Amino acid sequence: MFKIDTLQGHERMSTQDLLLAIGEAVANGETDFDIVASGQHDIGGPLWHPEGKKLKFHVTNAGQRVGSMCLDNTEIIVDESASADVGWLNAGGKITIKGDAGDTAGHCSAGGKIYIGGRAGTRSGSLMKHDPLYDEPELWILKNVGSFSFEFMGGGRAVVCGVDCEEFTSVLGDRACVGMVGGVVYFRGKANGYASDIKLLDLEADDIAFLEGGLDSFLTSIERPELHDILADWSQWQKLRPLSFEEHQPKPKPDFKDFRLNDWVKGGIFSDVAMDDFDVKSTVVTGLYRQRIPSWDNAKYAAPCEFNCPAGIPSQRRYDLIREGKLEEAYKLVLDYTPFPGSVCGSVCPNLCMEGCTRATIDEAVQIGELGFSSVYAKIDPPTIKTGKKIAVIGGGVAGLSAAWQLARKGHLVTVYDDAAKMGGKLEQVIPRGRLSQELLQTELQRIVDMGVNFESSCTVDAAKFNEIKKQYDAVVVATGGHNPRFFPWEGADKLVKGLYFLKAVNRGETPKIGKHVIVIGCGNSGMDTAVGAYQMGAETVTCIDVQKPAAFKKEITHVEELGGRLIWPFMTAKITDDGLYDGNGNFIPGDMVIVSIGEAPILDYLPQNQIKKFRDWIVAKKDQSVMDGVFAAGDVIKPGRLVDAIGAGINAANSAAAYALGEPIIPLVTKEQIPAQRITKEYFEKCHHCDLPEASQDHARCISCGTCRDCRMCIESCPEKAISRSEAEDSTFEYVSDPDKCIGCGICAGICPCGIWSLKPNDEPIKMYRTYNKN
Amino acid sequence: METVRTQDIGINDLNWKIEYNQERCTMCGSCVASCTFNAIEPAMSRRSITVSKGAQPDPKHKQITIPVIKQKASLADACVGCGMCEKVCPNNAIRPVRNEDTRKTLLSRDNGPIKRGGRTNLNAQRTFDSIVVGRISQMTDPSLDSQRHTFDIRAPFGRVLSPHELPFNLKNGKLSLAKKTPPVNWIYPLIFSDMSIGALSTRAWESVAMATAYLNEKCGLPVRMSSGEGGMPVKLMESESLQYMILQIASGHFGWNRIIQAMPKMKVDPAGVLIKIGQGAKPGDGGLLPAAKVAEHVQAIRGVPKATLSSPPNHQGLYSIEESVQKMHLSLNAAFGFRVPVAIKCAASATSVSVYNNLLRDPYKICGGFFLDGIQGGTGAANEISLDHTGHPVVSKLRECYLAAVKQGLQGQIPLYAGGGIGMTGNAAADAFKMICLGANGVFCGKLLIQLLGCVGNEHGRCNACNTGKCPTGICTQDPRLVKRLDVDRGAQKIVDYVLAFDQELRKLMAPIGNSSLPVGRSDALVSTDKSIADKLGIQYVC
Repeated sequence: MFKIDTLQGHERMSTQDLLLAIGEAVANGETDFDIVASGQHDIGGPLWHPEGKKLKFHVTNAGQRVGSMCLDNTEIIVDESASADVGWLNAGGKITIKGDAGDTAGHCSAGGKIYIGGRAGTRSGSLMKHDPLYDEPELWILKNVGSFSFEFMGGGRAVVCGVDCEEFTSVLGDRACVGMVGGVVYFRGKANGYASDIKLLDLEADDIAFLEGGLDSFLTSIERPELHDILADWSQWQKLRPLSFEEHQPKPKPDFKDFRLNDWVKGGIFSDVAMDDFDVKSTVVTGLYRQRIPSWDNAKYAAPCEFNCPAGIPSQRRYDLIREGKLEEAYKLVLDYTPFPGSVCGSVCPNLCMEGCTRATIDEAVQIGELGFSSVYAKIDPPTIKTGKKIAVIGGGVAGLSAAWQLARKGHLVTVYDDAAKMGGKLEQVIPRGRLSQELLQTELQRIVDMGVNFESSCTVDAAKFNEIKKQYDAVVVATGGHNPRFFPWEGADKLVKGLYFLKAVNRGETPKIGKHVIVIGCGNSGMDTAVGAYQMGAETVTCIDVQKPAAFKKEITHVEELGGRLIWPFMTAKITDDGLYDGNGNFIPGDMVIVSIGEAPILDYLPQNQIKKFRDWIVAKKDQSVMDGVFAAGDVIKPGRLVDAIGAGINAANSAAAYALGEPIIPLVTKEQIPAQRITKEYFEKCHHCDLPEASQDHARCISCGTCRDCRMCIESCPEKAISRSEAEDSTFEYVSDPDKCIGCGICAGICPCGIWSLKPNDEPIKMYRTYNKN
Repeated sequence: METVRTQDIGINDLNWKIEYNQERCTMCGSCVASCTFNAIEPAMSRRSITVSKGAQPDPKHKQITIPVIKQKASLADACVGCGMCEKVCPNNAIRPVRNEDTRKTLLSRDNGPIKRGGRTNLNAQRTFDSIVVGRISQMTDPSLDSQRHTFDIRAPFGRVLSPHELPFNLKNGKLSLAKKTPPVNWIYPLIFSDMSIGALSTRAWESVAMATAYLNEKCGLPVRMSSGEGGMPVKLMESESLQYMILQIASGHFGWNRIIQAMPKMKVDPAGVLIKIGQGAKPGDGGLLPAAKVAEHVQAIRGVPKATLSSPPNHQGLYSIEESVQKMHLSLNAAFGFRVPVAIKCAASATSVSVYNNLLRDPYKICGGFFLDGIQGGTGAANEISLDHTGHPVVSKLRECYLAAVKQGLQGQIPLYAGGGIGMTGNAAADAFKMICLGANGVFCGKLLIQLLGCVGNEHGRCNACNTGKCPTGICTQDPRLVKRLDVDRGAQKIVDYVLAFDQELRKLMAPIGNSSLPVGRSDALVSTDKSIADKLGIQYVC
């Protein structure tokens, strides 16, 4: 027996001295301790006998943490009350406090048994644990515990017997078991205020077995065996245990859709002004909710060739037909626009069509001009329908014949009057034969005759004749061109030879007188024709001058230069002498003949002067090309232009004259907008070497078919949703259609379309969602 | 041969470049279909290659034309970096990348000043990030358990009287009020702020409103939402949920006809009224709603035709602080029978303290709160010059206002609420806590909410196209095609989840400083690693 009184008179033994003394005694084999303490801490552990014998402590007046860290085989008995932290970190000892325990009794104990014969303070049993390698700890308390007890408890069993607790509303104090994750708290009597995530349960058989098994030992230890029967009324007991990990999962909050449907304003707070089913669309959708939709804009736009041609010839369609093998159709198509595919398109036209050609931005323009030759011998049948309307065309030049051709094809009876012996106007009279084959021209003139046009050549129309014609016919087209050579009143202008007369004489087969050194004023195409004519007639040198950069085609200029001609510009003519030409600065060009070729004005003396309007020398036409009631003008009578301009003007005049003759309202022909260049996908087309250029009639491979579907099916194959299909009508016209129920509006069709047919536009189909109010 | 001129707009002139991997692309078209800005398009790409396979030069030419997705080199169709393409791409073939060489801002003034939404892109520096909660209860006093302790997280909305001003009568040992005291509602210190019907889609606005109701009814958090300057949905005003709403009146007074018309049908009072004098994102400017967003319902609720709606920069009838107190506060207090607190919101400014002092001196005690909106506030539409170059950081200004009240012993009487960039870096609770420690009673936030709904905009120039009507997420647009992209339930859920976490996070900061109620003015809890910030705010400098 190790017996020690820690107070000797006024001397109190320190905790350190006491614990060292106890430790030494244990090492020496002592097993029984009777300690009269004076508040020393930590009495009782951690201690172990060298031979494993049981250590027994009897302690009075213990300080805090009596029985702390006790190991198995240690028993501590405190006869009266103890201070805080009884059995702190108890790892196996049996600790009996016969009176009350202070705060945090059993704190962090993970083994052994702690018996409290009275009350225990706040936070008792907190952080108790159970190490599965050892028996679970027990904490028995006869009466009650203070608030916050069993906080963060992780294991073991606590028993609160609730004796002598009538005055309390809870034997567990307030807020017990906060943060408790394991173990169980048995209690007898009332308990409330414990944490919300703790389950209150009735005892089960094994709980009762445990309590029954331990009750006697507890009561015996604290010397209150008489309470056995009172406490063993298990009906007064309940237990608290934490939710298991599985049970502890957060309760799912009410679903938001349920909240909206059940707790929220019915139909939504905007239901008076916004109709919304709250359906959620993905970013990729078909049908109505697509942001953008494709559009198959076939032939909505003019190809550049078509747009730039004053006659509006859609050459891309000619090449499409050739590509499809429909050669005859292709060659005939141009005749819808011009009777002169060979004479004008192929021979003398500057081919504006080719200037704008998209292909020219890749390599070289598609050879549209030359394609005209393929149509020289194309034949089309005269119209089967005859209108019975008679229409006169005054002037057998390009404008007049273009109008006549169009009118005849519409089934009108057309007569063309011309004062020349041969029809053809400037094609016949002025254009050098070298530039335009006579055979070609005659062939195409014959085609006009074959269409049923009546030619009245060598018929001069004067005022009287005009009146007669006006009366005889249902409509009249005036297209007498420009035959009055223009010049300025330069000094010596009387010495000028008129280029128009000179060329006409050459074409008539005459040999007009020519100088040795000829000067031509005017470097337009007619100036070049004049220069060439001068060489043909025997001139030695020809000098062409102009006030500005020569307007003639490069080809014509080159021809003149190859013959030895010189072009001088800018040169402001001031004086013409027998020796040559002077400008205002004294510059002099020697020459013995000066030919002027700066254009022609129309001769309009046959028209009733009081009924027509003129601007300078030219007649002013209205938008529908009418110049008088029932009289329509075309070509150089309105303003000087190219031959193809005259063809275009003829088409328009014919359109108006026909409508007039039929008594119908005149609807002007519409010109399509040119296809925007960025719609065309040129990437498909490989640049071609000049030497690899095919024949014009084989150039369909290079033609992109701007704005007109080339039926290549790229879109059908590329559409990721397989939304595009092709349908063909009986007349073999076809159409591509995108199915809105499949299409997602991605625009791949538009992005990959070589011809710029597909486009993607905003989906402006309205979705009715909002309104200003709804009284219901 | 390409024909590009140096002054042509190129992709590199734009803020965002599309990074595209043709080899991964399946040409499914989803990216193009999803892009609301028309910034990308399908196109063909030509590969023209001459190869030689032999032992000597043996040219073989091949051309292949491949479909690709291409970015448009156009200012009008410029990519804004919203990333919808990347989101929908099944193969990670496409994404926008920020372009540091952009010249877009420089070149985009053909139609006058640049307009956009979002926050300031130039003043995104954060005072809060050099402030930490540095005063932790460590052995000096017990810290609290954030998860298990009971916290009182409530802020007053309304004029709080000092104890000696309370008109109590003592009769038979019982206290009674001798006369009416100003109304005060105790609310959650996070207010959903000021995004108008019009700025937001119906769905987005409803989602925020629904989250508000849910937080109140299912989570017990008395969160309040301010209507913004675009009126109120009639159905909401006729419902019990009106009690969660703070009605805003701003210089345009938009929507007040329907509010007044609804008064006889109101079952409950609204939570408050907020007079908006100005906002942090564009101080000196009134509200701005571009015509593209003035849909039929907006026209109806606001009572205007389709047009770009610019609210005046001033309330037309107010010419002084005193007048604003007397006229606006009085009228709006009167409108609800002096039962509903009325607060006022100003853009933070060098003059804010004067205004606050003036409000504190108001003898009628009818100003129920002072809202300060800082430069980092978001907006649906503003001139970029206003967004980036006007405004005032809110932190020091809030602090100055608070200290001005402290100096007079009047702190807490007119509650201070601060906003503008709250939650900019994702954690609103930290910002709110620091703001409260500096003297705020609570904070308000808007941009954060729409970001929770799905908005991808940020203060580094991403998206911010709220003004265009092309919002890819259906939040800031009235186009039904886009509005219907937004899932109201998911959006509201996200807000609720965020606020519940916010609540827990606030506790995580309150616990270590040992406060179980809001630590208003407890600046001792904060320390700053920036000496000048520490000095300015009167908190400890630490390093």
